[in-house]
Amino acid sequence: MARYGMALDYKNCINCKACEVACKEENGVELGAEKHRIWVGANDVKGEWPLLDIASAAFLPSQCQHCEDAPCQEVCPTNATYYDENHVVRVDSDKCILCSYCMNACPYDARYVDDRTMTVDKCTFCSDTRLARGETTTACQATCPTKVRTFGDLDDPNSEISELLRTREHFSLKAHLGTNPKLFYLT
Amino acid sequence: MPKEISRRRFLQGSVALTVIGSSAMGKTNFIYFKKEKSSIPESITTKTSTKKAEEIPFLCGICVNKCAGFARVEDGVVTKLNPNPYFPKSRNMLCARGNAGIQTTYDPDRLKYPLVRIGERGDGKYKRVSWEEAYNAILHGTDKFKGLLQILEEEKDNRSTIAYCNGEGLSKEGFEVLMGEKIGTVNYVDEVSICLETTLGGYFATIGTYGEADLSNADYLIIAGANRAEAIITPDTMDLFKRSKGRGLKTIVLDPRFTNTAAKADRWYAVNPGTDLAFVLALTYVALSEELYDKAFIKKYGVGFEAYKNHIISHKYTPEWAENITNIPAKEIIKTAREFMSAQSPIYYQGRRSVFSKNDFQLRRAMAIFQGLSGNLNKKGGIIYGEPLELPEEEINSPIYNQAQGRFDKHNIAILSQRAGSWMVFRNMVVEKKSPYPVRAMFMRKHNPIAGVPNSAKTIQFLKQMDLNVMIDILPSDSMMYADVVLPEASYLERTSPVASYGLLEPAIVQRKAAIEPLYETKTPEQIYKELAEVLSKPLFEISKKYDNELQEEVKKRGEKNVYKEDGYILSDAWEKDVAERNRERVVKAFGEDAWKILEEKGVYYSNIEKYHKQVNANEYQYYPENKKKYSVETDNIKLVFNFRHLADIGVDSMPTWKDEYLFSVPEGKFRLITGRHAQFTQSATTNNMMLRDLIHTNYLWINRRIADKKGIKFGDMLEVKSKVGKVTIKAYPTEKIAPNQVFMIHGFGGLSQDMTMAYGNGANDATLLEDIHEPVYGAAVMHETNVEIRKV
Repeated sequence: MARYGMALDYKNCINCKACEVACKEENGVELGAEKHRIWVGANDVKGEWPLLDIASAAFLPSQCQHCEDAPCQEVCPTNATYYDENHVVRVDSDKCILCSYCMNACPYDARYVDDRTMTVDKCTFCSDTRLARGETTTACQATCPTKVRTFGDLDDPNSEISELLRTREHFSLKAHLGTNPKLFYLT
Repeated sequence: MPKEISRRRFLQGSVALTVIGSSAMGKTNFIYFKKEKSSIPESITTKTSTKKAEEIPFLCGICVNKCAGFARVEDGVVTKLNPNPYFPKSRNMLCARGNAGIQTTYDPDRLKYPLVRIGERGDGKYKRVSWEEAYNAILHGTDKFKGLLQILEEEKDNRSTIAYCNGEGLSKEGFEVLMGEKIGTVNYVDEVSICLETTLGGYFATIGTYGEADLSNADYLIIAGANRAEAIITPDTMDLFKRSKGRGLKTIVLDPRFTNTAAKADRWYAVNPGTDLAFVLALTYVALSEELYDKAFIKKYGVGFEAYKNHIISHKYTPEWAENITNIPAKEIIKTAREFMSAQSPIYYQGRRSVFSKNDFQLRRAMAIFQGLSGNLNKKGGIIYGEPLELPEEEINSPIYNQAQGRFDKHNIAILSQRAGSWMVFRNMVVEKKSPYPVRAMFMRKHNPIAGVPNSAKTIQFLKQMDLNVMIDILPSDSMMYADVVLPEASYLERTSPVASYGLLEPAIVQRKAAIEPLYETKTPEQIYKELAEVLSKPLFEISKKYDNELQEEVKKRGEKNVYKEDGYILSDAWEKDVAERNRERVVKAFGEDAWKILEEKGVYYSNIEKYHKQVNANEYQYYPENKKKYSVETDNIKLVFNFRHLADIGVDSMPTWKDEYLFSVPEGKFRLITGRHAQFTQSATTNNMMLRDLIHTNYLWINRRIADKKGIKFGDMLEVKSKVGKVTIKAYPTEKIAPNQVFMIHGFGGLSQDMTMAYGNGANDATLLEDIHEPVYGAAVMHETNVEIRKV
């Protein structure tokens, strides 16, 4: 029993996409450019050559925010989307009817359709692969060249993530929507 | 303020990264055919199971960098590659390509069996043969091509009629042993002369090392023409971007285009291509005229300082002078020089990769000198000399071939590398019939010169001209299509490779172990070397006996059996023991039995690893305690050669000097073509990788958005790009990240081989366009001096 979350030192991100590939290989994610549980947002740099606004070209690594109040879970008519014992937002593929309400409800666009299983798929925090084997990191965290991510139990005051959130400033994405994401971006 | 970026925005916003549902993908069958007892997965991505699995230490081979990992193997299938936390060089990481390495091993387009050509060169018609038949075809030829026996007979045992090339890798030395030492040709070309030769040469000539940049502790960085966010080098990439953006490492980026590295900079200067030398000379001018340099350091290690000082000042290499040349304002140059020299630990990053312009050797000399002026060498936060771990050398019994002739690719080159010469000069002299003897056979391994060496048309002509082409590789590359005999090699997850030593600051020994047995009928490189050597040994010895008078004398004196054995003519004797056994012997000899046990288990060894190696947090490890890192070492290598007098004797400037011919200019209506790397693939080698294709499917031509608007060019429009030596078609990517008179494309696309179904015809190959221009010191290929025309088609 834990309450898993993730802190992202997003300024480290170089948009190399190691996380995206590690996630696909670990979790057997379907191939295809649109089929990804994890991604890096990149803005086009603003300005005209050679006067470009460097700060406008930031990279923002992202994935399912595992909201405490997840709109996707709320709208799911079949309870396919549920919270597991570790507060991870999961999808039960047997119950999913591909109504796609969850995809529309998710403010982070974190979901996509797996055409093999005909399920709406998303990040699981490697719950059924790495965590199930007793490992303590997600695939995206472990592989990252610049060590963007720290995954851990928010309820454990001694966990690294709790320590990071106590000592570093951080923000959440679309905090105004009241979804209470469990992904925290460190500043 | 947080940025809100949705998946759709991501897809739309980063055009170069996502193109969905290409026709080639649609056509490809994603299900592998299951063989009996095979260990080939049924689907492309395999979800890892919850069972316990084997974890085999491997060394990544998807690029040249060498990161360590553990391969998770379930029922004979590699299901996941994880980073190895014991290796100080790669520090517990694998990049996107490293993760996607599985897809190279399980690539359905792999070379699976030995092949012999039955069609014409380039048409891709081959017959599957046994290994024995393939080796014999190399020796005897077929009705389609000549064999080695006939060629050597006709050339009267001039072994140098055979040439060979090899790309970087752990089994490269073995190929050099086979071709250079045992078969006995001098004509070897490799990736160095199309890569970092001038950088290595310039740094060694100036400060006695290429060194390692200690980016974990530096506080000021100028990084020019090196794109560490997209051309990943460990540990540099990891160290740099954890501390950029106002977190301890002030970062100044010079690059003609706005790269992902520039996106992480404090300042980015859009330098004119090929003019970095003027920038460094002007920095030096500021440091010297304002006396900002480390006088004690120069007094101790400097050679010819006064001469250099006079040289810089008298030539008036002022910031104002450099502004016009480089496109960097004088006040910015002054500010950068002052900041650099007043920083505690400044680094002018050495860079790597290609030779950009003809002045590249002098540029690297000037950079090394400027670094030296700060005195920040051989110390924490500086350029590290360090102490690599030494592995025992292996002895090779090399026969002497008196009929073998010498190298000839010296035309217009000051210093000819004795090991591997200049690819471009060598190729051109052969094609232009300027070689003093005919070169008639080409043995290629893990190298795709059609995509890598500028002016592809000439490389194709070169390969067509050969009587015999042999290729050892994993995938059917562009160059493979011109091979007569094809020997399929095991991928890096299927082979144990020779142990290697990496690192200067935190040195370690590392071993790649086979995670699985070679698939199909592929063999490890060392097995191929040995078996080919066995087949060639006796027949080739017979030819030498016929034409080599000294050998005949020896045979008379000592008897044929003895000479054959004792003088190294048994070509396979270099591979009597297999790789694993040789690794064990070498490691035990140097470091003892315990070291071997640790290496076998962890894939990495250095002394006191078990004591020193500690986890610091979930992501980071300590490899050496702070006081055991080799920040400063006692060495005679430290020097700072301002004036290298000997260079003048061979026609090279003894001090970095600007020449008007280095000026950047592009004729009206044309564009300077620049090329570069991308973090999601490695040159032409990974364009067939299904996983990486999800991330970047093709290359685009970057063109300035305002110019594109004027020409009516929109994103995705097809453009014809033409240079003096070739033309390609490629899709347009209008962007402000590039200058109005320049265009850029990622290197490596535009595959010509139809057998690489995912890569074939995708995007454009820059080598088709690049003119064969070489720099004067080593004959290394110059990549950024070609102008092109563009037309919408």
